[in-house]
Amino acid sequence: MASRPTVTIIGKDGAPSGATHTIPAVFASPIRPDIVKQVHTGMAKNKRQPYAVSEKAGHQTSAESWGTGRAVARIPRVSGSGTHRAGQAAFGNMCRSGRMFAPTKVWRKWHVKVNQGQKRYATCSALAASAAAPLLLARGHQIMTVPEVPLVVDSALVEGSSVARTAAALALLKAVGAGADLEKVKDSKKLRAGKGKLRGRRHRQRRGPLVVYHPEVDGKELVKGFRNIPGVETSPVSALNLLQLAPGGHLGRFIVWTSAAFKALDEIYGSTTTPSAHKRDFLLPSNVVSQADLTRLINSSEIQSSLNGPKGDAVTRRSAVQKKNPLRNKQVLLRLNPYAKVFSQEAQKKQA
Amino acid sequence: MAAALPNISSDLVWEIVRNNNSYLHKTGAASNGGIQLSRDPLNLTNKNSRKYAGFVNDKAVGISAGEKGGVVVVSKKAAAVHQPAKSVATTTIGGGKSTRKTYKAIASQVAKSGYRADLREAAVERASAIRKSQLPVKADPEPKLRGKKALKAASAGES
Repeated sequence: MASRPTVTIIGKDGAPSGATHTIPAVFASPIRPDIVKQVHTGMAKNKRQPYAVSEKAGHQTSAESWGTGRAVARIPRVSGSGTHRAGQAAFGNMCRSGRMFAPTKVWRKWHVKVNQGQKRYATCSALAASAAAPLLLARGHQIMTVPEVPLVVDSALVEGSSVARTAAALALLKAVGAGADLEKVKDSKKLRAGKGKLRGRRHRQRRGPLVVYHPEVDGKELVKGFRNIPGVETSPVSALNLLQLAPGGHLGRFIVWTSAAFKALDEIYGSTTTPSAHKRDFLLPSNVVSQADLTRLINSSEIQSSLNGPKGDAVTRRSAVQKKNPLRNKQVLLRLNPYAKVFSQEAQKKQA
Repeated sequence: MAAALPNISSDLVWEIVRNNNSYLHKTGAASNGGIQLSRDPLNLTNKNSRKYAGFVNDKAVGISAGEKGGVVVVSKKAAAVHQPAKSVATTTIGGGKSTRKTYKAIASQVAKSGYRADLREAAVERASAIRKSQLPVKADPEPKLRGKKALKAASAGES
């Protein structure tokens, strides 16, 4: 990459602080929704806890089949007499109080191993997508009041315990134009459909901005300030997680960077040629196509100069047209026989 | 400026979001004659298509009804795509202006200046539909009584 654009660092009250920073190389990574989707699917499975029905469910009876000849189905039937249960069918998945079909087991394959290279690729891709305003809009983030994407806030604003209180953290987010996105999250809280309500997942709500900080420079107190704001998540820049960068596998999470975290990206991810300082032998993925803008590609001098010129003359005769009778249509006659003009003139002279 | 990064373009964005985005509204299954509409404010026809997807294109036009009549034309600034707060320019065309002059103004803003010539027709159509919806609603005429009811009413009026 020859020249990378710069990003303004937002200071107090959402006004530019005057400082700028060159956008880290990771933002030029290829944007690959297919890889992000697949990695997300795998990673999302790694927090699951095993569940299964009881091993004994549906088998706690001494039922035996009555065999043929009793004019009833050969399914096992509960033995004995004296209760209504006696003589009822048991065990089968089609039976009342029988076991389920293919009872679930705790040794199901709950977790999926995702290769580290793929995880890193997906993270880079999700980070690059977070710098594209159209993708943020497509994800549903309300960013029309945000001064710039990617949004970088001066670390001086979050230093120490300046945003350790929720009110201060909320004021900071509102000042940088993230207020609309917070409102959206607040209004989106709905009761979950189905049984999840009873299982500790009572409500559903949208995701708001992700605040990425640098723990060594910004400290960790800001986490406490942000943690009670609905939809807002925080993440240290050294431990970015794809599940937060691309929730649902959809690219374009709205990220609020602190300037220290933003500056650390180049060191953490390296570039396409210099390896990362923290990830051994990791080079940023390169783009297969160096220019993604199709219009620019088509109109480039390299393409235009190697194209053939347009075929045919300025006026091209159409191929499939109605046939005209040259004996009646003079123009068609002239086209077939240019001498016809002289002919008819001669004929007229003779008559005169 | 993020738009200068070569790894992303509106062509790529469209391929990523065409089947799933926050503005998209799908009606029924595609096999069942379902149509795909867009709630994008910068979409002139409300159709989910590359040409009209305002949030994808660097240049786009949106037209909505003004609060006090007339229409509001918003257009994207191609140079400020990565600065959402500054990215749209708003022009208000008041309801006092004749429709013809409104369309003329829109056409020259959208097409004549070489901004998005392909959107001229759609922009004028949308403005026209908005202006039409702003016309005062005529009250229904009093229903004329016919047959026996008319006779009854006439006799009641006489006596």
